[in-house]
Amino acid sequence: MNETRDILTLAVEIGDAMLQNGGEIYRVEDTVMKIMAAYQLEDYDVYVLSNGIFASANEGKEDACSMIRHVPLGSVNLLKISKLNQLARDICDKKCTISEAWVRMDAIIHHKKDPLWIRVLCTGIGSGGFAILFGANFLDGSIAFGIGLLLQLLMLWFEKHHVGRFANLLICSMFVTALSLFPMCMGLPVSQDKIVIGCIMPLVPGIAFTTSIRDFYNSDYLSGVIHLLDALLTALFISVGVGLTIYIFQSLGGAMS
Amino acid sequence: MIGTIFLHFIIAMIATLAFAVLFQAPKSEWGLCGLTGGVGWFVYEYLHSQQGWHLMLATIVATLALTLLSRFFAVLRKHPATVYLLSGIFPLVPGAGIYYAAFYLISGNMEMFSIKGTETVETAGAIVIGIILAMGLPQAWLNHLKKKEKKAI
Repeated sequence: MNETRDILTLAVEIGDAMLQNGGEIYRVEDTVMKIMAAYQLEDYDVYVLSNGIFASANEGKEDACSMIRHVPLGSVNLLKISKLNQLARDICDKKCTISEAWVRMDAIIHHKKDPLWIRVLCTGIGSGGFAILFGANFLDGSIAFGIGLLLQLLMLWFEKHHVGRFANLLICSMFVTALSLFPMCMGLPVSQDKIVIGCIMPLVPGIAFTTSIRDFYNSDYLSGVIHLLDALLTALFISVGVGLTIYIFQSLGGAMS
Repeated sequence: MIGTIFLHFIIAMIATLAFAVLFQAPKSEWGLCGLTGGVGWFVYEYLHSQQGWHLMLATIVATLALTLLSRFFAVLRKHPATVYLLSGIFPLVPGAGIYYAAFYLISGNMEMFSIKGTETVETAGAIVIGIILAMGLPQAWLNHLKKKEKKAI
């Protein structure tokens, strides 16, 4: 009797974790359905949105149960998506009992993140690399690398203090633009625009945008709209941050190259 | 010129790899994530800068190539395609467009603003078309490709 509830909870829990770490709607829905089918539930239904899951099982029977989850938009963790996907596959191949699945899922969810310095270093490398791709020279690239490091430090600090997403974006893009103005004012031969472009790359909504396209492709229109709106707002806040900083700089009498 | 393109291919790979690490991609897949981004950028730069293709067309083909590549890696390595796609798309995301649009708007240069704004929207649209075309390819074909490879070995 309690088994139905246990299976449903497990399936929704896995779906929840996938969604939170950036899985697309179709995959989450598919996974939850397949897990319930694999454990021989017969009558079940799942509806997934980009920030919520609704599921029910055995509606017509005595042990009917249903579940609603609110899943806030989170940051992407590809490792967790991949591992949860593998877990779901094993469940479908009947290689994994319910209690084993619970243990494995707990291990995945509590998997430790990479050390912070790696994230800082990678933001630097990404910023520098993208600056060079967009036509910066080596000096610009190194400056972008340095600003990228500082950017991630700032982002980590914001994360720790739970600063809201849009305030975070606005301040971060103002921060990198302001920093990029320094070498220019010091008279170094840099292309300030390329430096900023490199440094806003860690902020641009590439993931939200791509996820949105995939949701639309799978006819999950509502979720597609949510992600698209997220992407547009993110882009908007970045440009406001950049624009505002340049506006202040020019008002103070600074000349842009 | 070919040297520059090759150098940019390497840099795009490194930058994409760095982003893959940021998104906590599985360690074993870091290299392939980087490769996906590198290939996307290479196709784009070759078609746009070398062959003089229109920005939109070059972006469509580049996105198509990198999405297909991520789907192929997904079959080959048994990880979701998302792992490669989300990292690999970054070199094509119009970050430069966002910056220039904001810059020209603030500077009051409306002509350049509309050019850059349009370019940003066009690039975004091209990414949409590229991904949709690549997603349209039946999964069975990709699985078939893998089987063939196994037989060859």
